[in-house]
Amino acid sequence: MTHVAINVEERLRATVRPETGEIPLFTYADPEVYKLELERIFGRVWLFVAHESELEEEGAFVVRQMGEQSVIVARGDDGEIRVFLNACRHRGMKLTCEDRGVTSYWRCPYHGFTFANHGNFMGTPFERAAYPPDGLDRERLRLIEARCDSYAGLIFATWTREGEGPSLPDFLGDMRWYLDIFAGRARMELLGEAQRWVVPSSWRLPSENFASDAYHTATAHAFLSRLGLVRSVDFGKDGYHVDAGGHGLGMGVHDDDPGSYFPDELEAEYRSRLDDDQLALLHRIKNFHGNVFPNLSFLIPNFIPVDGRLVTGMMLRVWQPMGPDRMQAWSWFLVEKDAPEWWKTLGRRMYVQTFSSGGMFDQDDTEVWEAQTAVAVAARSRSDEVMLDYTMGLDAEPLTDFPGPGTVYAGKFSEAAGRSYYRRWLDLLLEEGR
Amino acid sequence: MSAGSIWVLPAEAVSPAARLAAEDFLIAEAAMLDERRFDEWIELFTDDVEYIVPVRTIRRVGNGSDIDWESRHYDDNKASLSLRVRRLSTDVAWSEDPPSFTRRVLGNFRYTPGPAATELTVKTNLLLFRSRGTTGDHDLIAGERTDVLRLVEGELKIAKRHVVLDQAMLGTKNLGVFL
Repeated sequence: MTHVAINVEERLRATVRPETGEIPLFTYADPEVYKLELERIFGRVWLFVAHESELEEEGAFVVRQMGEQSVIVARGDDGEIRVFLNACRHRGMKLTCEDRGVTSYWRCPYHGFTFANHGNFMGTPFERAAYPPDGLDRERLRLIEARCDSYAGLIFATWTREGEGPSLPDFLGDMRWYLDIFAGRARMELLGEAQRWVVPSSWRLPSENFASDAYHTATAHAFLSRLGLVRSVDFGKDGYHVDAGGHGLGMGVHDDDPGSYFPDELEAEYRSRLDDDQLALLHRIKNFHGNVFPNLSFLIPNFIPVDGRLVTGMMLRVWQPMGPDRMQAWSWFLVEKDAPEWWKTLGRRMYVQTFSSGGMFDQDDTEVWEAQTAVAVAARSRSDEVMLDYTMGLDAEPLTDFPGPGTVYAGKFSEAAGRSYYRRWLDLLLEEGR
Repeated sequence: MSAGSIWVLPAEAVSPAARLAAEDFLIAEAAMLDERRFDEWIELFTDDVEYIVPVRTIRRVGNGSDIDWESRHYDDNKASLSLRVRRLSTDVAWSEDPPSFTRRVLGNFRYTPGPAATELTVKTNLLLFRSRGTTGDHDLIAGERTDVLRLVEGELKIAKRHVVLDQAMLGTKNLGVFL
């Protein structure tokens, strides 16, 4: 029997084997798998929607996506941040078609149904004439709202109701300790709007890449050493690989070159927000990459010397699904709000030149993800599976003396976090507990 | 008023000779990019060049500019442009190896003198056709360039290039091509 004929859940159950490092190629770009992802991952888990620095003003809102659904993330007049489905309760028209703004209400451009920035239905034109005698039920027509919470300045939302799924802290789990270092070590801000571009790739390929793949840097990004910007091509090797239960990260350290690479001006703020172990680790960081399951990636690119200073350009990245073989990349520059001007200016420039739509690293990654996706589309109808190898570090013993949580390995060359990513992914798709 | 007077250029206008020189220069520059003559191309920039491509956003009328100069697709100077050119000369510049086929079409040339005495500002519309691989698809990147050309020791150089792209969500998988 060919695989084409069997149910996709059966095919996944039979072929996805994260614990032995075997992942079938067809999953990269399968429409049936994608439908399950939208329903059982994007419809249920906590998803990153905005950064608190974007919504400081009352009435400020940004328009984002949860899976393929457009949502409005807004700070209401009461100061509270909420997340609404961007859909009028009358005919489903988008309430707002712009990227951001400041408003106390949204008025639907179709029939004029109007909703306050805290979600209440306020009224519609000629309401008593159209809906006699008393107009519409205010409570019934409240905007559809996602549950919303934040961690380290990162705002997440989920369509599950209170008590249905994990709280945000539980969902982030072991990743929190590392997010403290990345996003919570100082008061942070996103500088400027997101860069956005469409890549003909599965949304999952970059997500697992950021979670787990330090190894590709030696080949895909070999130009860095070829041009003498790093000492050797294995700049992605030294450090730690962390399996944080479906979330994953890698941290490069510079133990051969002691002293913190981060600006002295911010040291007091770091110290006030991090514990001693986190601070000690920060002082050793030369690069830092990871992914919060399913599709929020973050990065501190390898520091490089610019104008006599060591500089990096920090990034937040969301991989928005647009179909089984297409996604939108959303990319922001993230920086400490009270940082010295040189750190912001040089950092932004480095971010744009390395990891962005035109970034010298990103270009090569998008080339790979597109080609992988195209090969996967073709593999879907093969009667025997193309099994991919995810075995790097399968027999490695985790560290027992690392101060941070999760399963931590010495050296960044591992695919443990990738295996863990696929375990979580599979459990969610098949609706099975771990 | 005589019939011919409408053809008298205002005093601040750019001379036909200067316009022609600028147009020839920019068209030759586009050919260098399409022909991947990057080592020659990089020599066309002044040492203090500013090469910036801002991010566009979707805004309602009245809700501020849709151009965000704080967020950029390119934020380059001579050093970083040179680095990009050096990268392209390695055998590990995967995004453009094999290279895209590109065709740059410039039009709607608009000239204003300055800002400095030896400079000329040229706005052009850019259509950049890009195809890769064998899918038969192509990307079309459209935007408005604002170039400041400067006369340096008798030769024109590009002292500034700003390109405002006409997409908030870019429809090309990367900006691995120069604009």
